[in-house]
Amino acid sequence: MTDNNYDEIVQLLCDRLSSLASADVNITAETNLISDLSIDSIKLLNLIMEIEDAFDISIPINALADVQTVHELACLIAKIKSAS
Amino acid sequence: MSSTITKLNAPLTQAFDFQPSSETQLMPTPTRNTLAQRLVGFETLTDALEYAAQGITGYNFYDARGKLRSILPYSLLRNNARNLAKRLVGFGLERGSRVAIIADTSPEFVELFFACRYAGLVPFAMPVPVNLGSHGVYVQQLKGMLESSQASLAFANLDYINFLAEAAEKVTLLEWVGTPAQLNELPAQEVTLQPNQPDEVAYLQFTSGSTRMPRGVVITERALMCNLMGIVCNGLEITPDDRSASWLPFYHDMGLVGLVLAPMVTQISVDYLATRDFAIRPLQWLRLISRNRCTVAFSQPFGLKLCTMRVRESDLKELDLSCWRAAGIGAEMIRPDTLRNFAEKFASAGFNGNAFLPCYGLAESTLAVTFSKIGSGFHSIQIDSKALIDKRMAVRLQAEGRKSNEFVNCGRPLPGHIVKIVGEDGQPLEERMLGSVLVQGASVMSGYYNNPVETEKALKPDNWLDTGDIGYLYDGDLYITGRRTDVIIVNGRNIRAQDVEELAEQQPEVRSREASAFGVNDEDGSTTVVLVIECRLTSVTERHALIKRLQQLVYMAFGVNCIVELVPPHTLPRTSSGKLSRFAARQGYIQRTNLNDQLAVVESGDR
Repeated sequence: MTDNNYDEIVQLLCDRLSSLASADVNITAETNLISDLSIDSIKLLNLIMEIEDAFDISIPINALADVQTVHELACLIAKIKSAS
Repeated sequence: MSSTITKLNAPLTQAFDFQPSSETQLMPTPTRNTLAQRLVGFETLTDALEYAAQGITGYNFYDARGKLRSILPYSLLRNNARNLAKRLVGFGLERGSRVAIIADTSPEFVELFFACRYAGLVPFAMPVPVNLGSHGVYVQQLKGMLESSQASLAFANLDYINFLAEAAEKVTLLEWVGTPAQLNELPAQEVTLQPNQPDEVAYLQFTSGSTRMPRGVVITERALMCNLMGIVCNGLEITPDDRSASWLPFYHDMGLVGLVLAPMVTQISVDYLATRDFAIRPLQWLRLISRNRCTVAFSQPFGLKLCTMRVRESDLKELDLSCWRAAGIGAEMIRPDTLRNFAEKFASAGFNGNAFLPCYGLAESTLAVTFSKIGSGFHSIQIDSKALIDKRMAVRLQAEGRKSNEFVNCGRPLPGHIVKIVGEDGQPLEERMLGSVLVQGASVMSGYYNNPVETEKALKPDNWLDTGDIGYLYDGDLYITGRRTDVIIVNGRNIRAQDVEELAEQQPEVRSREASAFGVNDEDGSTTVVLVIECRLTSVTERHALIKRLQQLVYMAFGVNCIVELVPPHTLPRTSSGKLSRFAARQGYIQRTNLNDQLAVVESGDR
């Protein structure tokens, strides 16, 4: 994974999340999707669909169990992307 | 635009027929069988599979893009299951020993499930993790099931084996943990597989939610075959032209009994979409129905809501749902508007509202209790809200303008089953009176595995099962008005109030019996979890931190947001025995927050 790639993913996630999140928060890589953004299950499904479409990947459901922050989600996407 | 979007927007045939040229074309199992359809007379699951295996129908598994990934004709299922059974025999387990299987939507799960039956073992399905950040809670949930079932073996495929291995640590009775592929590498024993008996346990079904004390419903072959027969003959009136499509998880009773076992015992083909893939792209399910001309497909109301929310005009043009004759709806309270909105939205795609088939059931009665009449759509009645609250009686709305509640007709019990409504004293009530729903019949469970306390709570004298639901009978038909306060249903997920409270009580700031959880309904009918905590903290920062932590824990465990309210000690109402009353706690919360339109009447006191 190149740093460039990771930064791009984080940027895209932050953009998408700021439109999904109800709270007015400044989203960074450290933002916790659960406690800071209160992403509900429907918004989460939408986000996953958008990510899958944007990066043309499939995110395995088991991997999300270890994701809590924007950084962790970005790393997961980068990992899947580089493997595909 | 990414290639995915292009594919999704492509005409239906193109979206489905997309196949890389390097792969050989896989064909789904046909709808029409070469074997004469037989609906009755099977004593056990393996009996039914031996018959189905003589035909050419079976299970088909599709991926997120609607591409056929693998097929499992019943003939192949039988051979693979028998083959695996001979390897299972090598463990030298007693008949009836439990086998845990993490049930993603895959051929491997179905093969293992039947392999257990051929080997005389009792399989049970465990869930896949579905929530963000749920790793720790999920492992605890698996551990709870492994311990409660006293399982001897546990299986997961590569995606989930690490979670399973973690959960299996220190579970003393467990002899072996592995993948289906590892089982296949073990030697097959030279044995003749023994037939099963109707009195033997067919499987355990864990009811969703509870983490610390999960309850495994025990279902015998006899109960299962009785319920399946009622479903396919009386509920669905299955014919040789039927075909099913399903996204329901294999670890839920409706997914497993209704859409894996029922199709097999009637020898019809099924097209599967993984639950996760449905949740992200719900229209793939409708595309499967449309393309493969499926006739029978079930969903929770929430699934229909997802379809209605996510469909675009361009999608409608590509769908032809006129083949769908049985749109079964169950597993949670059915709101008429959910069905109306779906029917309205998909009418132009050929969906016929008469296909709606509301039904009522629960895992403790194998699956189905009542079915409405097939082919006649859903029916509902407007009930006067005041009479319902004041007299606990269902009175048809007489004058316009009075406040009313609309409830869906869930039909009549399957043959050989009786439903009765009882009051708080346990005495039967007359028609149209609101009370607890009890059911009696051959489909009722034997009990919760190794859990006499819970079994005694649910099974009353003469084997009447207390369903935990509230409703009334009207002209012989069952109407469900709500759950008792111990279960909160959010977006189709069952959450036990007790589990939410226990999670809170594990926090150092929260004492035992000082947390109360319940659901409140928004105006649009959606439910929110509320957690009220008696709190002694005075610092604003500490109080805020506790609220945030509790919200995060609830999310990780149950995948839902919740409202946390901190109240002074002694605010929560208690019963004379010192027990918290969730019902009263909810009333108090509603008063404090001035929520309107909360129907107190649909829920009686705590169990």
